[in-house]
Amino acid sequence: MREVCVIGTGLVSFGKYPDKTLAEIGWPAVREAIVESGIQPKSIDAVYCGSALGGMLSGQRVMKSLGLTGMSIINIENACSSSSSALAEAWTAVSSGRHDIVVVIGVEKLTKFGGGTLPLENEDWEVNQGMVMPALYAMRARRYMHEYGLTARQLGEVSVKAHEHGALNPNAQIRKRVSIEEVMASRPVADPFTLWHCCPTGDGAAALVIASAEVARQNKADPVRVTASEVTSGVYTNGYRDMTWAELTARGAKEAYEMAGVGPDDIDVAEIHDAFTIAELMYYEAFGFCERGHAYELLSSGATSLGGDICVNPSGGLLSRGHPVGATGAAQAVEIVRQLEGRAGAHQVEGARVGLAHATGGGIAGLDHGACSIHIFAR
Amino acid sequence: MKKSGTLVFNQAAADADPRFVAPDLVALDAKGTPRLIGGRCRKCDAVSFPRAAVCTNCLSEDIETVELAHEGTLYSYSIVHQAPKGWTVPYALGYVDMPSNIRVLAHLDAPADKITVNMPMRLSVGVVGADPSGAPLLSYTFTPV
Repeated sequence: MREVCVIGTGLVSFGKYPDKTLAEIGWPAVREAIVESGIQPKSIDAVYCGSALGGMLSGQRVMKSLGLTGMSIINIENACSSSSSALAEAWTAVSSGRHDIVVVIGVEKLTKFGGGTLPLENEDWEVNQGMVMPALYAMRARRYMHEYGLTARQLGEVSVKAHEHGALNPNAQIRKRVSIEEVMASRPVADPFTLWHCCPTGDGAAALVIASAEVARQNKADPVRVTASEVTSGVYTNGYRDMTWAELTARGAKEAYEMAGVGPDDIDVAEIHDAFTIAELMYYEAFGFCERGHAYELLSSGATSLGGDICVNPSGGLLSRGHPVGATGAAQAVEIVRQLEGRAGAHQVEGARVGLAHATGGGIAGLDHGACSIHIFAR
Repeated sequence: MKKSGTLVFNQAAADADPRFVAPDLVALDAKGTPRLIGGRCRKCDAVSFPRAAVCTNCLSEDIETVELAHEGTLYSYSIVHQAPKGWTVPYALGYVDMPSNIRVLAHLDAPADKITVNMPMRLSVGVVGADPSGAPLLSYTFTPV
């Protein structure tokens, strides 16, 4: 397997673009990544485009706007892990030697649904009984609170931290600090969650240019390497499941750490899938940043805030940067690459050398989540 | 669906009243008590709900239709205030753990302040929403014992 590097990044600020098409949202991110990489556009061997709800041929619709077509373009749907799964396919294509230069796109337009909770498949028997994504996470939160004595107010502090970070990020959808009082007083969505416990819906795009180390070093002296790339799916059961433990993420984290030859203590910065407040706390535990039941202590210690030992979601995460589902994984990867290159701006994690990106999701009965994709980056 | 035991499968009721959310999943026994309809693999005894067409334990297609216990324990819950059109918000939603390693998602028929984790629950039937014409939609629900 060949070493794989990231040589270009592009990002469109997440927000609401109801008047733009999916392609109009997507192409600026791809253009930015290509220009940044310094490659000849004709040298792109393949494109992997992740979108959950963008419809058919999202990648072709974006690439034709730039006049860059003819190469292999593969569209990937894996719910919230769509563009991180696209990155994993790109990694495999370059690592295996099949391709030298590959573009990864994440693009989504959720404003076309007019707001509200994410549309789920009505074929699913739980969706038919009234399941919505906030309720699924809320039930995890409720059980966690029952088992570990966490309070709703403590849970709300995750949102306060996310917005502290997001307020510093010019690309965040919500650039506003919130107080714990505001979090607690906002309108209820799915008890114990109020609005500020939930990520916003919106539109956005992100892109990366991935290349073999040989190609990468022609353009950059010290490119960011992708040291682990993996995708896993949830384990099906129609029976009992411990909803306080993110089994899928923990399994993926173990695989990713082994692949990269690192452990949780080596991670300087992480972008993890905080779709709802409880998710961030559960993932601290699944990634081994702390012991089970101790996530709130880690949060309140400041270790996961900017300036802490393991800064989690310096971008503001899904809660603040936003979560246009299929675009999220690529945006996380862009964030980590820019962090490791020391060009994240006001929310820079000083001296970050190793970072991880984690996108997981998909509401489907019987699975913890549908998909989980984890990447580790190093410089 | 295969008929078994004393259950009167509600296909007729479902036909008569199409406003039942998931008519295949619940039936009324002779006393009118609701029962959930699951499956049991004749090869490996694994129980499924909803009834699986193929056993997810051994891939057998020899699945008999069985009625499940009608009492269980509430694993977790949420009071849902934002949901797609058709659901009457707020509603209480919960996972109820039944015997035979079956976890069932259902609306809970109880005031929010009377619901607690681990409380015993019993199967019931209730109105959970409305169809586009405004007619009530029914489904199985759970009520605190």
